Amino acid sequence: MSGNSSSMLLVGVGTAGTRIARGVSRAFGEGLRYLAIDTDASSGQDEENFLLLGGNRLSGRGAGGDVVAARLAAEDSIGAVDEHLEGVRLAVVVTALGGGTGGGATLEVLKRLSDLGIQSIVFATTPFAFEGEDRLRNARGVMSMIEESAGATFFLPLDKLVGGEDNMAEAMRRAVDTLAGGVTLFWRLVEKPGYIRLDADRIRHLVSGAGRGRFAFVTVQGPDRASVAVDRLVRSELLAVASAPVNAILCGVLAGEDLRLSELGRVADGVREAFGDQVPFEIGTVNDEQTYCGRLCVVAMLFESAANGGEANGARPGTRRTAPKGPLGVGHGSARRFHKTEPTIWHGEDLDLPTYLRRNINLDL
Amino acid sequence: MSKIHAALEIGTSRTLLAVGETQSGGRMKIISHAEIPSSGVRKSQIIDISQATQSIRSVLREIESKRDQSGANVEINTALLVVSGQHIHVAHSEGNAVVEGGKVNEAEMMEAARRSREMPLPKGRELLDIIDQDYQIDSLGGISSPKGMSGRMLKLNTLQIHASSDRIQDARTAAENARLEISEPVFAATCTADAVLEEHERRNGALVLDLGGGSTGYAAYCDGILATAGVVGVGGDHVTNDIAYAFQTTNAQAEQLKTDEASACIGQYTTENSRVRLTGSSALMESRAISRRALDTVVNARLKEIFTMIRETLEENDLIHRLHAGVVIAGGGAGMRDIEALAEQELGLGVRRGRPLHVDGLEDVPDPWSYATISGALLYSQRTGDDAGFLNSILGRFFK
Repeated sequence: MSGNSSSMLLVGVGTAGTRIARGVSRAFGEGLRYLAIDTDASSGQDEENFLLLGGNRLSGRGAGGDVVAARLAAEDSIGAVDEHLEGVRLAVVVTALGGGTGGGATLEVLKRLSDLGIQSIVFATTPFAFEGEDRLRNARGVMSMIEESAGATFFLPLDKLVGGEDNMAEAMRRAVDTLAGGVTLFWRLVEKPGYIRLDADRIRHLVSGAGRGRFAFVTVQGPDRASVAVDRLVRSELLAVASAPVNAILCGVLAGEDLRLSELGRVADGVREAFGDQVPFEIGTVNDEQTYCGRLCVVAMLFESAANGGEANGARPGTRRTAPKGPLGVGHGSARRFHKTEPTIWHGEDLDLPTYLRRNINLDL
Repeated sequence: MSKIHAALEIGTSRTLLAVGETQSGGRMKIISHAEIPSSGVRKSQIIDISQATQSIRSVLREIESKRDQSGANVEINTALLVVSGQHIHVAHSEGNAVVEGGKVNEAEMMEAARRSREMPLPKGRELLDIIDQDYQIDSLGGISSPKGMSGRMLKLNTLQIHASSDRIQDARTAAENARLEISEPVFAATCTADAVLEEHERRNGALVLDLGGGSTGYAAYCDGILATAGVVGVGGDHVTNDIAYAFQTTNAQAEQLKTDEASACIGQYTTENSRVRLTGSSALMESRAISRRALDTVVNARLKEIFTMIRETLEENDLIHRLHAGVVIAGGGAGMRDIEALAEQELGLGVRRGRPLHVDGLEDVPDPWSYATISGALLYSQRTGDDAGFLNSILGRFFK
């Protein structure tokens, strides 16, 4: 564990997740707390920040794409996470869905965070189309469960993160780098604020029960960079994948000391106009001449209606599709009658969880 | 002395012990049965042996305290064990024999049968049953009686039904602790089929669904043979749990809502604002009411999912269009309101509830479909016991 007092912790789950976490750590530099979690010992057993799950069960060889095996391995070892959570109030979990550990272990990590009252944001990639239907099904199977357990979730289809002309290895590498870059920007917004501050507590409040969100970022330089940045964000495929209306927007602007007030206004107005000018809007800045000299980075996080009701997602006031919060936190008690039995998994879905929750069915209570 | 048979079902919802007797005409009659709500069982598997033992002791005591028509008490020492749960797997196996004289004879049929039974089981598995499907001579398949037919190689296709040795041993241990010996474990879904299907339905193609508390068993028949079978680890208990979770009720309340109020189809008995009052031990609980439509929505989602799983399994086995006699639903879950309509809608087949057809003694039972599996187990005992004659030696009757 890094020896600093930040209340934010970056958690990478699974092989891709640990790579992303390391990438963010390298890019951010000193002061970022992160924890890498995997069932595969080769992901970094010798590192201080690495936690091996299910060493006895899987012998450090990974879950072999088996969500259930990964979940059981995580259950075995989840208590060891606690020593990394001292003082943490917001955890950002990065992972890749479709394989075993990303899906299976992430659920257990989120449950543990929830049990300890730690708010969580999940950034999870979903497989490339070329990876096949099995991996897509695996990913879809756990997405709703992750949504139930996390404060906010950002599912990022790999096909939309990178271009289609890369070869497979290059596409994977670029996807990891791209997501790491995005999370780094988010981290800087919180940990190295500029004149307009976005602190961890404001974000905690914003993401609490925010449900599924959309996330994208752009980097632009040259004349009229603010307008170009907004235009590229608006056209970003990552923000266009709408499953529900936006009910809150978080925007970050990262630049050098040359950031002009008019640019900030142009970004804020453009993003609000494009994605919702009647919803809560938070903006923060980073002014770092060394890192962003001449460049303008804009990060947009669009939160969709979920647990907090409203008109979104077809939900009317008084309806509920998410689980009521029990004493153990969201997502923990949904399989309370079965939680000590062998899980029933079908197409990657945990059938012990109520069907109406997994299908996002609104209940007109 | 008439033949006595006993079967034990340690289900997720209830523990049931039934005693049957072969009547003079050869029909099976259930002369006594006892049941209590199960403890220590989840998803059809024992999770607390001492609680399961208590349940078995209770039903055994009740059976032995009853008197039959002749005024005798029935003492049960041994019973068949009905097994269900997602640890049960079904696999194809086969046995080959060379046809020496150009025409198949009985010895070669027996050799094929012997070899099909030599297929090794995975470690930690116990065989519940091997069911013969059909014969194949060279490339000609679908043969039910190959004797006298010409060819060079005879193959017998079979289905191996096997289960976790540990899970069966847990049930044996619980029964033995209650001083009841288990003679043989038998697969619940095929027992159910034995009880509820007519022969012509097996020939024309039929699916039997055993909707239990902790799991749902299925057995599909085509051309008179078992085409596929299995268990999905989801049952009525999941419906109860979903209700309890959605409406924050106790399990008892959820069970009552499921049994007395819910419909498998949304909107069948509801007006837009129809509500159901909860029953409970406190005034606070009784003051709550929930939306009937929301209740039906929760139940419908779960049952629909179960039927979807079954339909996908049938499609994978290319059976869905061969089940001309439709679907027979049995087990405790078959009692749910409108479940036949939902099953028809989701499976695209005709559906009926399955009451035991070949067993007497259940005339006064309000939910005979929930006795289908135990009835089938008694029929199995009768069939194998009559052949082997062994049950007479271990089951007895005495006068007090």
